[in-house]
Amino acid sequence: MQTKNIFRLALFNLRKNRREAVGIAILTLITAFLLSTFAANITGISEAFDKSFDESGCKDSAIVIQKNYRDEHLAALNEFDGIKDVTAAKPLLLVSGMVIDSDGNGKSSYSLWFLTETENREFEDFVKGHSLSEDEIAALEHPVWLPEYFEITAKFAPGDTFTILNGGKQYPFTIAGFYNAGLFSDTGMGFTCIISEDDKLSLAPVLEEYNALIFNRDAENNFSWQEYNKVCRERTGESFLAWSVTRVSVKNNVLQFLNIFLYISGALSLVTLAASLFMIRHKISKDIEDQMQQIGVLEALGYTSREISLSYVYEYVITGGIGALAGGIAAVLFTPVMNFMTISMMSRTVHNKTNFAAIIIVTVLTVLAVILFALAKAGMIKQFPPVIAFRRGIKTHHFGKIFFPLEKLKWSIDLRLALKGIFTDMRSNIGVGLCIMLAGTAMLFSSYMFDFFKNGSDNLGKMMGCEIADTKIELMDGADADKMREELLAMPEVRKVLPTADWLLQLKVKGSELPDPRAVVYDFSETENIFLTDGRFPQYDNEVTISLRRHNEDNVNIGDSIIVQGDCKETSYIVTGIVSNLAFNQTSLYFTPEGFLRTNPTASLRVLDVYLNDGYTREDFDKKLTALYGANVEDTMAQSGEGSSLEERIRRKADEKMAVLISQYGVTDADYAIRIGDTLIKGNSSKFVIKKLSSMLDMAKTECDGIAAVTKIFSLCSMIFIAAVVAVILGIITSSNIKRQRKELGIMKSMGYSSKNLMTQTALRIMPVTFISVVIAAVISVIINKYFWIELFGGQVPQNYALTVFAGIAIVIFTYIVTYIGASDIRKVSVTELMTE
Amino acid sequence: MASVLRTEKLCKSFSNGGVQQHVIKNLDLAIEKSDFTIIMGASGSGKSTLLYALSGMDKPTMGKVFFGDTEIQGYSNDELAVFRRGNCGFVFQSVYLLENQTVLDNVLTGAFIVQKNSTEAVSKAKELLKKVGLAEDMWNKYPNQLSGGEAQRVGIVRAVINEPKILFADEPTGSLNSASGKEVLDIFTKVHENGQSIVMVTHDLKTALRGTRVIYLRDGNVVGEHKMSKYGTDDDAKRRSDLTAFLEQMGW
Repeated sequence: MQTKNIFRLALFNLRKNRREAVGIAILTLITAFLLSTFAANITGISEAFDKSFDESGCKDSAIVIQKNYRDEHLAALNEFDGIKDVTAAKPLLLVSGMVIDSDGNGKSSYSLWFLTETENREFEDFVKGHSLSEDEIAALEHPVWLPEYFEITAKFAPGDTFTILNGGKQYPFTIAGFYNAGLFSDTGMGFTCIISEDDKLSLAPVLEEYNALIFNRDAENNFSWQEYNKVCRERTGESFLAWSVTRVSVKNNVLQFLNIFLYISGALSLVTLAASLFMIRHKISKDIEDQMQQIGVLEALGYTSREISLSYVYEYVITGGIGALAGGIAAVLFTPVMNFMTISMMSRTVHNKTNFAAIIIVTVLTVLAVILFALAKAGMIKQFPPVIAFRRGIKTHHFGKIFFPLEKLKWSIDLRLALKGIFTDMRSNIGVGLCIMLAGTAMLFSSYMFDFFKNGSDNLGKMMGCEIADTKIELMDGADADKMREELLAMPEVRKVLPTADWLLQLKVKGSELPDPRAVVYDFSETENIFLTDGRFPQYDNEVTISLRRHNEDNVNIGDSIIVQGDCKETSYIVTGIVSNLAFNQTSLYFTPEGFLRTNPTASLRVLDVYLNDGYTREDFDKKLTALYGANVEDTMAQSGEGSSLEERIRRKADEKMAVLISQYGVTDADYAIRIGDTLIKGNSSKFVIKKLSSMLDMAKTECDGIAAVTKIFSLCSMIFIAAVVAVILGIITSSNIKRQRKELGIMKSMGYSSKNLMTQTALRIMPVTFISVVIAAVISVIINKYFWIELFGGQVPQNYALTVFAGIAIVIFTYIVTYIGASDIRKVSVTELMTE
Repeated sequence: MASVLRTEKLCKSFSNGGVQQHVIKNLDLAIEKSDFTIIMGASGSGKSTLLYALSGMDKPTMGKVFFGDTEIQGYSNDELAVFRRGNCGFVFQSVYLLENQTVLDNVLTGAFIVQKNSTEAVSKAKELLKKVGLAEDMWNKYPNQLSGGEAQRVGIVRAVINEPKILFADEPTGSLNSASGKEVLDIFTKVHENGQSIVMVTHDLKTALRGTRVIYLRDGNVVGEHKMSKYGTDDDAKRRSDLTAFLEQMGW
């Protein structure tokens, strides 16, 4: 019976404060929804990836060797403990190859591996997904099976034409279907395309053949890539260019952004949880304050303080319970959307089941948090036996100190009265301040993310730690790089030319367990896409600049020395600076040309990074280069041997053969002489000036644009979402304060203060605490922004302080507007209400 | 004498559970400058409703209210608030001081909405507070530290600080003991002597005696009017008996 009465009291309070109850229910709903989504998916997406990978039947590790492969490499691997099921394959690789998009309009750049089905089945099960029928596939001239990425992300369909552009030629394939690719199914490692044996044979002359060792490792295996490298070098007596990929590295790469989004969702849910709890605390203490006389009456009637406290708690069991339940249901309903997002971002078909247990636990915990908080606050009723309750009910405003006496203030009366009002409810203001600080931090951080990605992947490119020129020209060994550079600079299209070394050259750092670094070699006074986070770039040949990851993980600081192992030579360098480096495993080393040659005396700066002026395209410029310097080696390999005369056809065939020798076997000079009857056809490789033309820009764009677009939308949604939460909180608090201040507001109106005056005062009153909170939020957000990028990408984003100030001011103005609008209930306050008193 | 305020066919109705209750009915009334008008009537006769309709605190249902030559019945709530600033002062039965403000700040809150010269407004507030017998040591006290009479005196100073064209008062002594009530009425009398027009609602004879004109309301209409000389200028006993006779005639 008593419970029924208490429940009735709770319902009465709910009806009386409907808007606040709805607000709290909404905040609890959002909290439960976000927390449930976070909890249900943070392990779920990891398991989904594992499941998808397991289903592919792929082995879990691979070593890809580009040059100098020897049988000893395979033998050495087999001898390592815990290494099993080693399989060798010879895929063809097209690095940063262009593919015509599914809509037929644009082009995208991918690294593509080409294998036959038989070769593929050696290391994975070739699990087919959507495909044409067997009959349709049998009728295809050039069928290709692609990883699911191309269906999910690149939006191709079975039966579409998949056209690869290489060396000025088009290689059209027809998509037979898609399959679940294990290791080679992301933009980082490239994609395995399964083609027929005939097609592989026809591509072999134009693409570079690699040797891949694919294997499984025991669960507890701690295979050391460094150790393997060392053993191989000892056995073969030569270095080899190779890199490795594992299931874990692919998983980290694929899940990186999904995890970021989930953690941000988790952080947002904590903001709303804090806001909900604050709202509850605020409301209970205000209710108790306002209803003190009523509480006294109830106590006088014989209700115990525990029973009265429970009436408040029940109120939140109802509102919090409804909100949390709705949030849990929303999280369940959201699962298909989350699955869609997971599939889109993983570019794999995954089946992520609804994690009911996690959702139920989070929902229950949310309700419990609300109840515990309500219980703790409602317990204050115990302090008021009836007499004290009656007395407390008679409001006593007595201050030891007079804050902001009006006679001493010189501003407008609205501002003066607003300032006086700040001190009337200090605890509530502190609570509001904390909410604004939390929400402001989240909003500012989201604004940084949005700003960072607003121009697609341009800013992400700036964190790469490598130059992203329009065109990269790799010159033949005999070509004069300096002369070429001068000629290029004289062209109207060219803005800048920077000589550098082969970007695929790999080094080692003695004693480091980090992945092998790439050498980045420039005159750094000319570079425009490599940014220091500390120190300076190298200026002398004994200096090196390191990546932020190396600085953090190897604990190498400016002034320290590192030993770099190059081509059978070790050299010591002094670290002069730290660079934000997202690309190439975040471990690059930055040398001056002279410094680089100390470690690699046989290397030369035969690569020219060309930056074009505005208004010129890479395609047009590459055509001009071909017209001026002849076809490059790679293009020549891809050309057909057709021509108008026999001599032309023979010369073209000879050029093609030379190009293959140069490109694939490292031949530097070749001469040929062919006799046909009385005719002697002679030629040599000096006609080749350019070995290869490529562009990091296209590759970076293909890899990063999708991530940038998703992150941009996500951060924008976050900002809107947090703004909505702030609006709900401020709206409820303002509305509740107005309800409690009706009499004072009526008095003010009787004196001639208009609703606008009073709304202005209400909004101004919250400004000092907002301003302080936003300043603190700005500081915290800058710190978070710094460590967010360092922890996740080993890079550092230059802080846009103008944006911080602008966004901070925007939040202050937003808070003002929301509070002003939230105070519009003041319009309903009528002076005539004073008549009824 | 010029009317400072007049009404034409003033009506005010309230909806109570879907039933229209006509509290003021087609009321024509003029308030003359420097008059001290007392509104009397039985409970529920519409005294307070009329006061609030006259003062622009509430909007009439029908009819017109002229403040000088200005019609105010069509004003929005905010326009009425702006209008009240310079034209009306109010003294309430429950005083309605702002509880979180000191005596001086309560007065200045009223002053600063109209007066732009802060220094002058502060000087004037202090001068008026002194005039009503609130010495400097009271200025920084809060309303809960004042007696009822002291609080009402602050209310009066707050109402007159902007020199309103009409001072409205709704039973200003209703919640005071007789001694405090007399002090407050003396202040009203002083204010009136300085030429202030006053409209006051009361059902207390002693209070009504301070006026120069008494109008009697019944069922939302003026049913009688009684004029008197200024308080203190004539035989007080005669004024009292005349007023009593009038009120008895009205059925009071």
